Amino acid sequence: MLWSLAAILFYFASEAAIFRTGWYEDWLEPNSTAGEVEYHMRWLKRAKRAKVPEVLIVGDSRMAEGFSALTAGAEVNGKLHFTNFGVPGSAPRVWYYMVRDADPDRNRFSTIAIAFDEYSDQDWGEDPRNRREDVNYLAGRLEIDDCFDFADSFPKTSLRPEILTQCFFKGVALRSDVQAFLSDIPDRIARAKDWRNNGGGYIEGYEGKPEELTGLTADLEKREINFPPDLKDWQTNTVRSTVLPEQVRQTGALTNYRKEWIGSIVDLYKGSNTRLVFFQIPRAPWPIPEPSTRARFIESVAAQKNILIISPDTFKDLERPEVFADGLHLNKAGREIFSKRIAERLASQ
Amino acid sequence: MLFTTPTFVAFLAITLIFFYVLPKPARRYLLLTASLVFYMAWKAKFVLLLLTLITTDYFAALWIVHKEGKARRIALLVSLTANIGFLGYFKYTNFLRDIVGFQPVDIILPLGISFHTFQSISYVIDVYRGEQPAITSYLDYALFVSFFPQLVAGPIVRAKEFFHDYFNWGPPTAEEWQRGFAMILTGFIKKLVFADQFALAADRYFIDPRAIHGILPAWTASIAFALQIFFDFSGYTDIAIGVALLFGFHFPENFRRPYLAASITEFWHRWHMTLSGWLRDYVYISLGGNRKGKLRTYANLLMTMLIGGLWHGASWNFVIWGGYHGLVLSIERVVWGRGEHRGIIRIPLAMLTFLIATVGWVFFRAKTLNAAIYVIGQMFAGRNFGISMLSSVQVHLAVAALIVALAEEYNVILTQLAQAPAWARTIAAVLALFAIELFTATDRSIPFVYFQF
Repeated sequence: MLWSLAAILFYFASEAAIFRTGWYEDWLEPNSTAGEVEYHMRWLKRAKRAKVPEVLIVGDSRMAEGFSALTAGAEVNGKLHFTNFGVPGSAPRVWYYMVRDADPDRNRFSTIAIAFDEYSDQDWGEDPRNRREDVNYLAGRLEIDDCFDFADSFPKTSLRPEILTQCFFKGVALRSDVQAFLSDIPDRIARAKDWRNNGGGYIEGYEGKPEELTGLTADLEKREINFPPDLKDWQTNTVRSTVLPEQVRQTGALTNYRKEWIGSIVDLYKGSNTRLVFFQIPRAPWPIPEPSTRARFIESVAAQKNILIISPDTFKDLERPEVFADGLHLNKAGREIFSKRIAERLASQ
Repeated sequence: MLFTTPTFVAFLAITLIFFYVLPKPARRYLLLTASLVFYMAWKAKFVLLLLTLITTDYFAALWIVHKEGKARRIALLVSLTANIGFLGYFKYTNFLRDIVGFQPVDIILPLGISFHTFQSISYVIDVYRGEQPAITSYLDYALFVSFFPQLVAGPIVRAKEFFHDYFNWGPPTAEEWQRGFAMILTGFIKKLVFADQFALAADRYFIDPRAIHGILPAWTASIAFALQIFFDFSGYTDIAIGVALLFGFHFPENFRRPYLAASITEFWHRWHMTLSGWLRDYVYISLGGNRKGKLRTYANLLMTMLIGGLWHGASWNFVIWGGYHGLVLSIERVVWGRGEHRGIIRIPLAMLTFLIATVGWVFFRAKTLNAAIYVIGQMFAGRNFGISMLSSVQVHLAVAALIVALAEEYNVILTQLAQAPAWARTIAAVLALFAIELFTATDRSIPFVYFQF
């Protein structure tokens, strides 16, 4: 009995030593959910604090593709220092934990700018609160005392034990990563080292996707899209999803989700000197109408002192095929224009 | 409540703590309550069915011991009718409707009904035969039938085995605690690391066999299923035996490296041993066994295996699977009698036996009889070779499993590990826990195959 208990305790201790000391996070696959988050966190922590005000840009792949911190900094002559926290596939719950840990004293950034795909709280299908991948993104962020609150944030009760297990036993959340690591250890070590040391530079030097959608037209009433020739499936599929989205039943899930997680970021910075800026990114490669669902979350925080909400019309002129690589992401030209425009806007207000 | 879920682990931990904290007389109430909660976690209303059968069999057994002559037989008949009647209704109604051309009706198969009815039947027959005293306490009998480690998928525990431990209960020894935990860990690894990994390969093929042509895919997917069902079911059994041991109960062994058997006869002495024993004692012997001449022996073998096949599932596939095994058993009896194979000859015979069993598993796994026939056709007369359904990881796991099975068969590793110093056993347990954490095949929870029976 005692040895069985000793084995369990020894296992807990070894698990914590591997996954809770930050040791394993150093060797995460760079192109993985947890890896994307952790390498961004490491680059930020390693970077010296800038002498000018720092701006953190938070978003998903649309910011990773559509925003260049270098271009933005140059546009305002280095008066602001930008950091891009655009993590592909991430969502507000992930952003909250990233921001929390990136700025534990709440005084590093003068501005945290959060990208909204749309201000409207229009639901898109699956309830974002039940997105189980979030636990994988946050495998390196969640502490033991986060676990119950984190699991409780999934309304689907059948998911909670699974989420709780993955939060307590990080190896479960990182299982695929560990298996891939063990299948080719030298390759992973080499790539992880390279990405850890140079990945920030690779991202800064990234110029954006060369593809464009010039020639694309759409008749929204007839629900028809005319594609230019030679587009790939990933382009046509994403264009369909943003230009002619399927109508889904509106449940208010997105409003609740945003209130919970972007609301938590707002709460973090209440009373601080950090300004929160919300902006709506170019939504699609074709001008699409405003959704009928109200922007309830934006309305609920609009009056708060340290929050600036940039007009949703600001970047609507970029909703054209020439500056998009696919249905979601700006291309190289779009990245250049958008980065400059958002930098100007943040510097001027 | 699957054994391999965090919910069950929490349930087990809480039940164990209360079991050892409560005074001894209260423990049976705790175990019975926990068992009913465990059952009701699936579908609460079916607990009424379970309690109905428990009540019927409890009183039938008492009636049998207190009456004589015809009344005893009536009590036995009532009990058998209730058990077989419920089992038949829930399990075979749609099969029979299909045979006579009626549309199927919506019937949910109560969890574990095939197991607990067989367990109850064996109790009542044993009482009738005078081999088992009737249990006078309703709660004791209810606990025997519903005891949660074996309730839904066995092993099929006989009353004399259960009540021997129950009435002479003593706390597990230090060695038993260790063995209990080791069996639970082994079961988790068998299910989550091995069975679910092979399930990926088998499911990919059997979901639509006609989409993937060739000899190799048919064989490799069938082998994947052969390995899946072994690791799945023996893993479940290991957990059940381990859990029971932590409560001081010694369940019978249910699997003994069946794929190392050198004949199908030997296979059935190593595969689902508690079911084989049940079929032998309550069907084969009741039919006359081998006491009525050779031809009758073969007929009895065939009939017993047909019933065994039908017990597994209500479709022609299971009838054929049972008949196939009955036929092979009869052929082996004709060719080899009851002799055992020893020496080097066991190697090719074990390989042949594995392939024979694998062919049988096709009927077990395929969704329809047509699909099974198609797969068998591909295995033996496929027009092209095709590609393997087993990934390199799965092949490595199969080889590793074979090495461990051989080592276990000849007591090389596990016996030595059991006698190793405590620190070595601790490290082995820690490595096992890491294996479960890091090498579980899939994030989705795959139910145990035998839950459908």
